[in-house]
Amino acid sequence: MRFELFIAARYLRAKRRQAVIGVITLISVLGVAAGVASLIIALAITNGMRRDLQERLLGSTAHVELMRVAGDGIRQWQPLLERLKATPHVTAAAPGLYGQVLISRGARSGGGLIKGIVPSDERKVSDLLQAIKKGSAASLEPVSCADPCRPDTLAIPPIVIGKDLAESIGASVGDTVLVTSPQGELTPLGLVPRYQRYTVSGIFASGFYQYDSSYAFLRLTDAQRLFSEPDLISVISFKVDDLYHADRIGKEIERSAGPGFQATNWMEQNRELFRALKLEQIVTFIVLALIVCVAALNILIALTMMVMEKTKDIAVMMSFGVTAAQVRRVFLLQGLLISLIGTSVGLIVGYGASWFGGHYRFPLDAAVYSIDYLPFAPKITDALIVAAVSLGVSLIATLYPSSSAAKVLPAEALRYE
Amino acid sequence: MTEAPIMQAVGLTKLYPAVAGRSAGDLTLFRDLDLTIQPGEMVAIVGESGAGKSSLLHLLAALDRPTSGDVHFGDIRLSQLNTRQASEFRNRSVGYVWQFHYLLPEFTAQENVAMPLLARGERRGQAMEKAAKWLNEVGLGGRLDNRSGELSGGEQQRVSLARALVTEPKLLLADEPTGDLDGKTSEAVFTLLQTLHRTHRLTSVLVTHNLEFAARCDRMLRLRDGRLEPEV
Repeated sequence: MRFELFIAARYLRAKRRQAVIGVITLISVLGVAAGVASLIIALAITNGMRRDLQERLLGSTAHVELMRVAGDGIRQWQPLLERLKATPHVTAAAPGLYGQVLISRGARSGGGLIKGIVPSDERKVSDLLQAIKKGSAASLEPVSCADPCRPDTLAIPPIVIGKDLAESIGASVGDTVLVTSPQGELTPLGLVPRYQRYTVSGIFASGFYQYDSSYAFLRLTDAQRLFSEPDLISVISFKVDDLYHADRIGKEIERSAGPGFQATNWMEQNRELFRALKLEQIVTFIVLALIVCVAALNILIALTMMVMEKTKDIAVMMSFGVTAAQVRRVFLLQGLLISLIGTSVGLIVGYGASWFGGHYRFPLDAAVYSIDYLPFAPKITDALIVAAVSLGVSLIATLYPSSSAAKVLPAEALRYE
Repeated sequence: MTEAPIMQAVGLTKLYPAVAGRSAGDLTLFRDLDLTIQPGEMVAIVGESGAGKSSLLHLLAALDRPTSGDVHFGDIRLSQLNTRQASEFRNRSVGYVWQFHYLLPEFTAQENVAMPLLARGERRGQAMEKAAKWLNEVGLGGRLDNRSGELSGGEQQRVSLARALVTEPKLLLADEPTGDLDGKTSEAVFTLLQTLHRTHRLTSVLVTHNLEFAARCDRMLRLRDGRLEPEV
């Protein structure tokens, strides 16, 4: 192989009799470099976007959620919660009571999802309460009552709602909203929905429309009162120490909780979202890999022309014993050298640009992209995949010219010289 | 006791099939041609242009295959060799000099000469050392680093001769080695060839148009009408 590399490297460096071959070779190198650099930059951006999305998503949702299979809620949940907190890899747990409601202010209303929480626990499993942009969540802290708390003795209880929900019903901090639960109560007049007034004490903005447009937080006790379900929760949320093993830990929690419970994790809940992101990344990869394919076409043209130019030299080499396989390898190596140089330059440029982009932060319109800078997260595995694809495509491009070179018949090639 | 021939061509026939629209019928270069080369002799093959001298040399070097017949080189039958074995035969057993020097222009004289050794996997240092020795022997010890474009026609052909001999082949085949040179340079190159033939106890087969050079060989054969005849 040393002989073949010696010849291939020299052929690549030498001045060409036909200048156009040199130009096409240079275009091939630049083409491969441009393709590889584009791929590295694009993948770094999609990785950055994905990472950012994942971080914000994980800030908003628990890693694992445990609920009843029958959907009838969890009663006597405190001992269960304490027991499950001790499950290996669980770092925090919080109770929650969900319920669909209609939230209205005057004539404007919108559907919402109430989550009754214990703020001190909820903060350990979700960052939504840290995303309060107006007002505060302090009012959600449990109140101390001299007497058993009765709704009629309390001031209007607080509610924290999402930014988009607040905008859709025209509510701001300090306003009173009416929350209507479809779980009505039976009266002499028939089944009437339950409703309760709340004061908007805070508005959060997580950056996720799904949360910002429908979520509302109440104290757990207020939510239980609204839904007429004292001492009931619908879910226990968990934070775990290894979020990429949330599925395995979830199974462990499910087992510890006993029969009738099921656990879901953040990967399951957001599978479609991450699948779409992955698909987008694959499409980006394929589109940009076409640049490498065009460059590989240039390699094919350059090598084919070089084989034509070197037919006589190939025949002479064969006359002193160079084998057809060695000739084939000379041109294979030449194509791979072109690709290797282009790929190396592309990786350096791609990673350099990603570092530059990550370091100096290109600003983005946060209102459009929900992030105020272009995130770059280059990964070493991407470099390996891109380099392998680039070299693989180039290798395919060298097959025809190297095979034609190996078919040169020395006596024929030199007969009419 | 007669020494066994180093090479023997038996019943060699070479036909070039007719090309549609370009030739009337098959072209027969030679038919049932026999040739025996004894070790150490220098044989000249002369003949008209187009008689098939170069084609005969190609067959002797396993660069081409005969239509029928065979060439024996010791125990080796060239018709039995596959392409890899034929390459190995050319690398180890014969040295070939062309009418044109055919040096690879991207490489220095020393690298050109070392090429057959590098191709067989010899270490670069060792190959370059042997190449330098051979270039010295052909009188180009001072031109090791020159590329072919920087050498005169005679020097180029001497580099080509060194390249053919660097593998220390048993047989040297030269196809009009002085055909592309002027009279004085031709004389110098042919004299060098004769000297190397003698000092290295080579067996040489030369194709030439130059009857004076042919006459200075041990034996002269004329290829005429597809047959080899001794020329007196």
